[in-house]
Amino acid sequence: MSPEERFAHQICRVLDEGTRGLDYGIAERLRASREQAALSLQPVSCESITIAGSAGVLGHLSGSHSNGGHPWLTLLVILALLLGVSLAYYWNGFDQATENEEIDSALLSDNLPPNAYLDRGFQAWIAKSHAPIVSPVSAE
Amino acid sequence: MASRNELSQFLASTERRAYKQAVFAVRDDDDALDIVQDSMMRLAENYGDRPVDELPPLFQRILQNAIRDFYRRSRTRMRHTVSLTSLEPSEDELTDPLETIEVDEEYNPFATPPAALLQVETLHLIEEALKNLPPRQREAFLLRYWEGLDIAETASAMSCSEGSVKTHCSRATHTLATALKAKGIRP
Repeated sequence: MSPEERFAHQICRVLDEGTRGLDYGIAERLRASREQAALSLQPVSCESITIAGSAGVLGHLSGSHSNGGHPWLTLLVILALLLGVSLAYYWNGFDQATENEEIDSALLSDNLPPNAYLDRGFQAWIAKSHAPIVSPVSAE
Repeated sequence: MASRNELSQFLASTERRAYKQAVFAVRDDDDALDIVQDSMMRLAENYGDRPVDELPPLFQRILQNAIRDFYRRSRTRMRHTVSLTSLEPSEDELTDPLETIEVDEEYNPFATPPAALLQVETLHLIEEALKNLPPRQREAFLLRYWEGLDIAETASAMSCSEGSVKTHCSRATHTLATALKAKGIRP
């Protein structure tokens, strides 16, 4: 430590002693100011942390022009989002196909051939078969 | 991010030195308290999300800016009152610097041994010498040696170069040594 620094620290030691003997009224006003300042410190809510975090991840991935980020990184992030949407759409379509497959299986396992349900004559025959049967003897 | 408790602890550790710094600069207790209070509020409202270890240089920068703002406002006020004040003798003309040495009896009301009295007198002489330093020299000296900021932090708080900080500190120390030696205080 140089003589200059030693002298400076000696002075500061005396100044420190002086702060201990501060007037009570002044010390109280300082305490009140400190408490008021501490109260004005706003706690950060969980919601804002989540939003800030998401924005931070996107910002970190893509960068920004103001921070010297690359535009092609932004494009890459957008492409990744589009790919994600396409995959979700494809997956939903796959589910629909599975459902149709189950219906088809149920129809094929039935005793009747599937084409029977499409035949108008078959429908008419079913309707007729439910009608009362007229005996040939009584007709005579 | 600093919690409310950490901010409070930091302010408690620095508030008295901050007040003294402001008193040395503006020479008025109430103005000094207002400056410190304003600086505390600005720190909490604008920089409360910073880590605790960043608070000391930030607070010093805010404090020094608040003191400079006070100077600017004072200069504006003085332009409007110069015609009246110029008719009266200045405070320096009326008082002998040696007569301003006062012993603060509230400092130790129960015992006043010669050593304590000497300490109070020494403190008062040092405070007077600090008040009489040029503002930038005093600022550099207090930030660097009393607040314990390094040269880069001091330069940032003072908005000047690191070379200027070294120059101001050196000049301040020599000026203080000369002034105190004239009053019979040797390092």
